[in-house]
Amino acid sequence: MSSEHHGPVAAVAARVRHVEALLEQRGLVDATELDQALEAFLTSASPANGARVVARAWVDPDFRSRLLANANAALPELGLSMGGGLQEQRLKVVENTDHTHNVIVCTLCSCYPLALLGPSPTWYKSESYRSRVVRTPREVLKEFGLMLDPSVEVTVWDSSAESRYMVLPRRPDGTDGLGEEQLAALVTRNGLIGVAAV
Amino acid sequence: MSRIHDVGGMQGFGPVEQEADEPPFHADWEAHVFAINRALIGRGVYNLDEFRDAIERMPPQEYLASSYYEKWLHAVTTLLVEKGVLSAREVADG
Amino acid sequence: MGEAFGPGDLVRTSHEDPQHHTRVPRYARGAVGTVVEAHGDYPLPDDRSRGLPAEPQPVYTVRFAARDLFGEGDHAVTVDVWQHHLRRVDRSEQESDE
Repeated sequence: MSSEHHGPVAAVAARVRHVEALLEQRGLVDATELDQALEAFLTSASPANGARVVARAWVDPDFRSRLLANANAALPELGLSMGGGLQEQRLKVVENTDHTHNVIVCTLCSCYPLALLGPSPTWYKSESYRSRVVRTPREVLKEFGLMLDPSVEVTVWDSSAESRYMVLPRRPDGTDGLGEEQLAALVTRNGLIGVAAV
Repeated sequence: MSRIHDVGGMQGFGPVEQEADEPPFHADWEAHVFAINRALIGRGVYNLDEFRDAIERMPPQEYLASSYYEKWLHAVTTLLVEKGVLSAREVADG
Repeated sequence: MGEAFGPGDLVRTSHEDPQHHTRVPRYARGAVGTVVEAHGDYPLPDDRSRGLPAEPQPVYTVRFAARDLFGEGDHAVTVDVWQHHLRRVDRSEQESDE
């Protein structure tokens, strides 16, 4: 079909270049600054951050308590923060247990804890996920391969204000011998959003 | 008036499509829209609430047909014109 | 602006369907839920998006039963709602809904 150099994609790309050039002329953006900001964002924001938080909470019950009580205050213990964006956001960490499972959404747009999880996946921002997970969460979780026991209560957290949510998944069985780094490696982005067990 | 972005509980959207090993941006232009928007909000040309409002004011059919960063681009250009930073003609002459 | 709420308080979200930007999702309009916690003071987006002055006001995480939102579902949904969009509900008022 249409190659990258023709058709709608090329038209959008040209439009963006055009607007960016106009803004540069107005002194409102600077190409170098844009590149630096992008690079800083992509290198600092990653689900590896969220995974480290989870691993620490698994091995250190006092950290876990502090994290659940005031996540923003606990993050600096790992050299992390919810800053680095337009404003520092409040982080709320919600814990999965053997009888509760949490899943995060932003039905109105795409709000997401970028600092701890990096850029959000397209599916998280899709009308399909946003519309369905608040109404039929178990059905959506099944699509992700997560089958929850009927006795497990599900809570869906809609990020409709300035708080950003992250799930603290349950520590998998049989991991007692693992160190923090190995535990962090078990944690996936989907687990931090709540569409996977871990 | 209820706006098209407010989809929580709405029916008919179908399965959630997942892409394996998805990159943060699918094209350079997406990354640039992301960065430009941040820069403009950081400079106070508009605020985050105005940005969301501009996306929400998209005609429903256009909203649903647009990819995520196409929505962002729409909002950025709408606000630049509404705020008098660029003229509609300048934006169109691209 | 309204009164302050505490965890466990029963509240009802506004029925308002405004012409402007708001962060109350349609599915939660007019619904009764329980305050989980207050999570800080922030300016009202309804006003910020229109260039109106907006003093920070409390935002609350409110938990709703899915059945009360959609008529079905055994799960809970939480929504973060600005104080402007919440009113206290008396237990007697809630019972009369059932």
